[in-house]
Amino acid sequence: MAQGQDKTPEQHQAQGQDMAQGQDGPTKAAKANDPVLLALTQNRLDHISQQMGHVMVRTARSPIFSQAHDFSCFIAGPDGRVTAQADGIPIHTGGGGFAVRAVLRDHGGSIADGDVFLLNDPWQAGGNHLPDWVIARPVFVGGRLVSFVCNRAHQSDIGGGAAGTYNPEATEVWQEGVRLPVLKLVEAGTVRQDLWKLLMLNTRTPDLLEGDLGAMLGSTRIGAEQVAALVEEVGVDTAMDYFDGILAHAASRMSAAIAELPDGVYRGEDRSDNDCFELRDVWVRVSLTIGGGRAKVDFTGTDPQIRGFKNSTLANTHSAVFTAFASFFDPAIPRNEGTFSSLEIVAPEGTIVNATEGAATTMNTVFVAHEIIHAVWRALNQAAPDRACAGWAKNVFGVTSGREIGADGSTGKPYVFYHGLAAAGAGAVEGRDGFNQIGHLCTLGGLTISNVETYERLYPVRFVRQDLRCDGGGAGRWRGGTGADYEVEVMTPALYSFRGEGLRYQTGFGVAGGDWGAAGEMHVQETGSAPELAPKFGLRRLDAGRLSASSPGGGGWGRPEDRPVAEVWRDWRDGLISTEAARDAYAVVFSGDPDDPSSSLDTVDAEATRALRDKRRQTSPSAQGDVGPF
Amino acid sequence: MVSLKAPWRVGVDVGGTFTDMVIADADGRLHVFKVPSVPEDPARGVMNAVGKAAQDLGVDQRIFLENCAFFAHGSTVATNTLLERKGAKVGLVTTEGFRDSLEIRRGIRANPWDHRTPYPEVLVPRYLRRPVAGRLDTHGRELAPVDLDQAREIGARFRAEGVEAVAICLLNAFANPEHERLVADAVAGSWGGDWIALSSAIVPIIGEYERTSTTVVNAYVAPRVVGYLQALERELIDGGLPHRLFMLQSNGGAVSVRQIAERPVNLILSGPAAGVGSMRHFARAAGHDNLISMEIGGTSCDVMLMAEGRIAITDELSVADYDLMIPSVDIHTVGAGGGTIAGVDAAGMLFAGPRGAGARPGPACYGFGGTEPTVTDANLVLGRLKPGAYAGGSVTLDRELASEAVRSRVADPLGLSETEAAAGILRLVEQNLLQAVERISIQRGQNPARFMLVACGGAGPMHGAAVARRLGCRAVYVPRQAGAFCALGMLHSDVRQDFMDVHFQDLDTLADAPVEDRFAALERDASEMLTREGFDPADTATEREVDLRYDGQQWDLRIPIAAGAGAGDIRGAFEREYDRRFGHTVPGGRILITALRVVGKGLMPPLDEAAMPAATDGVRAIDHREAYVDDRHGAMRCAVYHGADLRPGHTLQGPLLIEEATTTIFAGPRDRVEVDPAGNYLIHLDREGDA
Repeated sequence: MAQGQDKTPEQHQAQGQDMAQGQDGPTKAAKANDPVLLALTQNRLDHISQQMGHVMVRTARSPIFSQAHDFSCFIAGPDGRVTAQADGIPIHTGGGGFAVRAVLRDHGGSIADGDVFLLNDPWQAGGNHLPDWVIARPVFVGGRLVSFVCNRAHQSDIGGGAAGTYNPEATEVWQEGVRLPVLKLVEAGTVRQDLWKLLMLNTRTPDLLEGDLGAMLGSTRIGAEQVAALVEEVGVDTAMDYFDGILAHAASRMSAAIAELPDGVYRGEDRSDNDCFELRDVWVRVSLTIGGGRAKVDFTGTDPQIRGFKNSTLANTHSAVFTAFASFFDPAIPRNEGTFSSLEIVAPEGTIVNATEGAATTMNTVFVAHEIIHAVWRALNQAAPDRACAGWAKNVFGVTSGREIGADGSTGKPYVFYHGLAAAGAGAVEGRDGFNQIGHLCTLGGLTISNVETYERLYPVRFVRQDLRCDGGGAGRWRGGTGADYEVEVMTPALYSFRGEGLRYQTGFGVAGGDWGAAGEMHVQETGSAPELAPKFGLRRLDAGRLSASSPGGGGWGRPEDRPVAEVWRDWRDGLISTEAARDAYAVVFSGDPDDPSSSLDTVDAEATRALRDKRRQTSPSAQGDVGPF
Repeated sequence: MVSLKAPWRVGVDVGGTFTDMVIADADGRLHVFKVPSVPEDPARGVMNAVGKAAQDLGVDQRIFLENCAFFAHGSTVATNTLLERKGAKVGLVTTEGFRDSLEIRRGIRANPWDHRTPYPEVLVPRYLRRPVAGRLDTHGRELAPVDLDQAREIGARFRAEGVEAVAICLLNAFANPEHERLVADAVAGSWGGDWIALSSAIVPIIGEYERTSTTVVNAYVAPRVVGYLQALERELIDGGLPHRLFMLQSNGGAVSVRQIAERPVNLILSGPAAGVGSMRHFARAAGHDNLISMEIGGTSCDVMLMAEGRIAITDELSVADYDLMIPSVDIHTVGAGGGTIAGVDAAGMLFAGPRGAGARPGPACYGFGGTEPTVTDANLVLGRLKPGAYAGGSVTLDRELASEAVRSRVADPLGLSETEAAAGILRLVEQNLLQAVERISIQRGQNPARFMLVACGGAGPMHGAAVARRLGCRAVYVPRQAGAFCALGMLHSDVRQDFMDVHFQDLDTLADAPVEDRFAALERDASEMLTREGFDPADTATEREVDLRYDGQQWDLRIPIAAGAGAGDIRGAFEREYDRRFGHTVPGGRILITALRVVGKGLMPPLDEAAMPAATDGVRAIDHREAYVDDRHGAMRCAVYHGADLRPGHTLQGPLLIEEATTTIFAGPRDRVEVDPAGNYLIHLDREGDA
């Protein structure tokens, strides 16, 4: 077995072990000695978890599943370690084991065929935040527990102080929804109706919850049948050995990737710009120790937990660290619990990365996950500059909710929509510019941006613009994503929830000499009034009116004066950078009008450009980028 | 010389390397052959095939063409134009404020974890995407008039920029085409070019990104594709062809060159979609209308499903990461073919695919310099293929090179014997094939065990029996012409065009709204199209479909309905399909109609393959050799038959190999192979021994 496999993340945490411990367990993988069967088993489990995801998308009723794909499907061994998770959003990767181990802890001796468990609580049941509910279905073969087939999915409403699971005024978990310990939702094949009714009473949208729980149960049933068939085919003992072998293989690949980094201690940090009630900097600080093919991610020095709902939990913090690592290295490395056995995470209790029981946490999968990923990337960037990832700008927007108004002025049905069309720009890496508009970093852009036309059909809104922003992207050899100028008319009075980041500061840091992307801006305007700066947190009730935003830009990679002139010209002609920015940031001097149809590379003042670029190259890289602001 | 009875039907499938031609005569006899493709001038490849056909038949080329009752063509020219970025310089007109949806792409990336891979180049750079003022609301009502002065300026700019084709995609144009038409007229006047694509005409779906992307691809390929097709048609007609040239579209139906000229984007799956015709044909021949085809070529495997005679159509298609929303045969493609590369990763895990060795260097055993083992190499090492001439003599297989590749890249790193390593590669590839079939069947709520597997393509018949056995199927059908699956399908393709209307309405209010009028309008469009294509109304059919979803969901199910079907009938049909796919329904749940569709079909008379002369006596194996069978039996002595010796009535007992000109068929121990009246193979699978 790979190093550290015999310890769960919780045990590492509880014991505050240092890296040297928990290694060199007996190599169980030696028993999985048929490499063909190993490959077949891994390939099969991945396929099953993907199929489960497909069933989820197609059967769920709430758009959160089917449109935003805010769920993950995973398969764990009988000890709770996640073996396969081929389908799912990045910020769920690595959290699954916490949930299954909570099931084992609470029901270990009495789990029976036909039982299905449900949970969500971050402290009592291995949850990440309350809206993500986990269904865990044990699989038995020949009377032996061989696996748990599970999904974790964001529910549309779970009670609490605000509709739609996000309560930006919450200061404690009880204001965020119903807390579920490990519940036996299905007992011996029969849904417990008392429990089911309790759940339906604690949501504002029982029809959605009922449909979505049904999708989760259906998806795990299909997955469980297939896992059982696989285990029966090869035999239980053999299957268990090969489940371990899959973990060992992933462990060895991640460990080899880490071993290529120079040994040492690297630091990284990032901040949130408010605590949901006042403007203040809240820092996530990481010290990353690399040595012997292992990495220790120590959050000691991170700021204390905050009043608002951007506090992380242990499962979520682990997921964020895993997302940072997995996205930093080769995406072909499998992502199961073995992958991360060469990581040790120290997250001091009472900080924003491991809030104490009772804290408000709902926003954590986006913010503080973003800050955690950034801080870990910035540490990794120093260890492996060639793989360095520039910062992805943070999304400034929140949600708007209201009620439709009928033609006769009557009040219609409620609606809630995300201003996802105002998405921010991604950071650059070597070899590609940042994506100009992309979903949250915690989804690595997996969250798809809606079409204007679909939203206009679904909600009482009319969009005014969603156009790429000029000069938003951080300058660099590879330019950061530029973001967008966004404006929407909301045709009813509505409640606006503000919980973004990126309005006070630039958030897309540059690397390897690249610059930061631009900060965001956001305004609201009631019809007939002047536009005003949008609040950075909290709730505002507004009459019909407009919301506009310039989304922030991602960071650049490499020195801007190294960007080929032809690429700078292309961006200038396309209106993505101005004549001033071309000169000031990229040291390229243009004469003429970029919008002139006869514009060509001849519009570059070659001599002035050469002189400016030579001069720029003689100075040291800008003080921005990966070295600041600490 | 081949003797055929006029008139005949002709199908030509132009692939990257070979052009396949299939000729079926009046009695259903087939003549099938390949000629090399001419990538720089695909029409030349087609005319070369016509020349060879005439020669084979011993007739003058004009006589050959004059006797064609139907000439259908599948072509990768549109696909290659896109893949190789050889399309036109396109200008795009968008609604002011929404210039960039083509480039933003809704942020969709196939694999979020792989964030280092950039998007493919945007087909219209931003400076050629020009916004025009004017706005429609979601119901198509005008909020602001379109600024035609601005449109004229855009046209003049396009002229100055040398734009070759224009795409117009305005917000909410799916609900009202008027603004796009006005803009098109204004732009055309000052631009002066020929190729204008309107999103409301090409693909009137809701969703500006997908509509724009599809319309842009249409504009991008049009000048290249349509010119080629018109020139080819002219050449064929001048040469004697008495009617129009028909093209295979992505929806599996044929359409004339004149029709496709308006929507060349519909050619993007032209080749593989022709398999639909083959499926219909084999369904008749095998008396089984639940079929799954598994067509395995050099680099990939295409899987298609026919349930109760219907082939699923999807609207979601991505080609080289360009998103298209056109009605397409639902083909699931996986990187598992004869040239699929196997190896061992950095931590000792065996892999097979998705990367392939391509035509060059190809499998190691081809001797073109490849050193990585492929599936073909594994089959050679295991004795399933024999060394020497292969694929009709186009390459020669060298067993030593295959052994070396398997040994050095897989066996040695894993500590396995050469045979174990090669067998491991096969098992992994066959699992990927199995999963490809599962994906397209189980996820549609279909049990694959109820289906007959059609194994085709050059490499399909080698793996069909193993995959079908694991799926629980009873039989595998292997066409003797397995390698010409698509060209053959063209002979059996109906003419087809799809029409749709975005229409949101609560199903329960069906009777209150003019749905019937809208269907009738779509049916009128379909009939007009079919009349223009020269069909007598008696030989046409229209089918109605509705897209439905439970309120709040984001995915539709497409349900075929009869004319005059009431809300109750439609609800019943929707719930049955929903339950089959997803295992539950929402009793009494609100159901939303999202689109009305009409399929117009010009029906081709069925063409049955001629019976082959039956066997008069038994058949002898030409050889026996040791070949790997499966993981339970290991290697066994297998009888080897020469395909040309096999006649209807012959029944053979596995394990065996049948060597055909362009494929090798494998059947396991206790499998029984029967030759059907048309000379195709039916493998009856032994499932007892598979416990």
